[in-house]
Amino acid sequence: MINKILQDRVYSLGLVLVTTALITSLVFPSTFPTFENFSQILLNLSIDTIVAVGMMLLLISGAFDLSVGSIVAFTGCFTAYLMHFFNIPVPLALAAGMLSALCIGLTNGYLIAYQNINPMIQTLAMMGIIRGCALLVSGAGIQNLPYWFNAIGQSKLLGIQMPIWYMLATVGIFTFLFNKTIFFRRYYYIGGNEKAADLSGIHVRKMKMFAFMISALLAGFAGILLSSRLGAALPTMGRGLELRVITAVILGGATLTGGYGKIPGALLGALFMGLIANIMVISRISGYWQEIILGLILIATLWLDKYLQRKYSAIS
Amino acid sequence: MKLKLPHLKVYSVFSLFGALFLLSVSCELPPRNQSAAVAARASNPEPVSIDNEEYVMVTTAVTMPMYVNHDQAAFRRWGKKMNVKVSILGPAEWDVPAQINTIEEVIGTRPTGLLINGTDPAIAQVINKAVAAGIPTVVYDSDIPGSNRHAFLGTDWYEIGRMQGEEMVKLTGGKGKIAYMGILGLTNMDQGFQGLLDVLKKYPDIEVIGKYDDKANVEEAAKITSDVLAAHPDIAGFCGFDSNSGPGIALAVREAGKAGKIKITTVDWEPEHLQLVKDGVIQMLAGQKRELFTWYGAQFLYDMVHHTNPLAQNDARAGITSVPYIINTGLLKITAENVDEFINR
Repeated sequence: MINKILQDRVYSLGLVLVTTALITSLVFPSTFPTFENFSQILLNLSIDTIVAVGMMLLLISGAFDLSVGSIVAFTGCFTAYLMHFFNIPVPLALAAGMLSALCIGLTNGYLIAYQNINPMIQTLAMMGIIRGCALLVSGAGIQNLPYWFNAIGQSKLLGIQMPIWYMLATVGIFTFLFNKTIFFRRYYYIGGNEKAADLSGIHVRKMKMFAFMISALLAGFAGILLSSRLGAALPTMGRGLELRVITAVILGGATLTGGYGKIPGALLGALFMGLIANIMVISRISGYWQEIILGLILIATLWLDKYLQRKYSAIS
Repeated sequence: MKLKLPHLKVYSVFSLFGALFLLSVSCELPPRNQSAAVAARASNPEPVSIDNEEYVMVTTAVTMPMYVNHDQAAFRRWGKKMNVKVSILGPAEWDVPAQINTIEEVIGTRPTGLLINGTDPAIAQVINKAVAAGIPTVVYDSDIPGSNRHAFLGTDWYEIGRMQGEEMVKLTGGKGKIAYMGILGLTNMDQGFQGLLDVLKKYPDIEVIGKYDDKANVEEAAKITSDVLAAHPDIAGFCGFDSNSGPGIALAVREAGKAGKIKITTVDWEPEHLQLVKDGVIQMLAGQKRELFTWYGAQFLYDMVHHTNPLAQNDARAGITSVPYIINTGLLKITAENVDEFINR
């Protein structure tokens, strides 16, 4: 039992999360354990988590995408641009925004899977290109977006703001897909041993391209959701998001070499980072410390993980 | 049970319907306009506590030296003088959504007053949320139109651009090629660019050759400058709009051996800017009085909470505030003539 908890990141991180939350509740009984605060934490990490699900998929397949932060900015800005300057109806603009994200993912995926360009170089280049495009279409940012567009991210259901529901739905759908469909389970095979996967008849290239498309699509969805929640599209949205998301996903059990990770891990990793950020705000720890503390936590978690794995694999 | 690929379609249709269903039953839509937020303010929310007074500043790019040395230093000094707790929060990077998230989380902890760096119009919503929660809220640096903030202190960025433009005209005798740079995509900087262009367009002999994005990065500003110098060896001057533009432009101009010949005006007055003016590389700095933003901003919050100058029996109930609505702190013009006063301060 203990073995299982310590070896599966989803359980061990879950345990750490609950313990941290309990201790914080004891230290800040009036400000931390409130419905408002918890829903605020979830709302603040909803965008990151949606992107993290796509990143988890990529990391399982053995790749990663540095352009997701820029895709968030571009999709939000492009959708806002169409609505604000061309008065395009909200549903059409949404479709166009998602389509643009899909095209970015397709380009990334095609060049990486079929032209063998290194994923890091390709997505790094795309990160710059797309950020530039976001600046081009939005200038200093676009305000006063249509009411129904803002309603997507600002409405509430059962007292909880919509981005949280979308986040839970995304995590739920992808957890289901990864558990129940052969198509998605193949990504573990590809991440574990690409050559073997190829020889066993899996269309590795096509699958890799799909992975980048799905990740870009989720980032695009997150971008639309973020600008709808803010009621504005900013070209600076999603800055540094890629590294935050990769950190969350690795905390959640993925490895950079591929083949490992579970979708709920993406949520838990993001939740853990959101929780730490919230605790720092509540305890008024200055912003100078935030990144230092997050970096230290990441290193500590990975080290602990390696240590426990060594120890328990020796026992069993 | 394992499913095959064709079933994916079924699931995507299901999930689409699920999403649509969620949307359709979503019962609570956001308010149509600002009136709801205003109504919330008028409904006299629970007043903030002054037993454990705590004033919180939320900015973005909290580690930026200019913010640390001016805004935050003055805010801390104020806290010490008034003997109240002050806290400074916000993301380390320039990340407006993260600043919004921080403000949202701070509102829940009910500080005595909120001092917010007006980084982008998009923070209007969360400012209104703080005001609706009954927290005195002052915005500094750039105003946030459409927000219900109680007071604003800052500089007119259009004026910063105009000041640079007028000085550049004087320095170049109203003729020659001019380039300018800053961070593209920021509202206040766009106003600064506009101020500069509005002055320069009155002089037909001045040719504006380009607007560049130095990404608030010294190396980038230096690279742009040397590229522009290579393409236009006869350039007359450069104008900078962010803290790192000036040092970057100065670096490249110096390396080209054209210090003093090519005129430079820029913003901010960090020690390195002042030294560059002293060395004759930069001709003018358009400086902000940032200390005043946060010192008086915090004082306004304090005065609101302590009813220092009550204007009605109960200011909040009357729907008024007893502090100034807009304060323009004005600009500093730093040239070789007065630079020593700032170096030796």
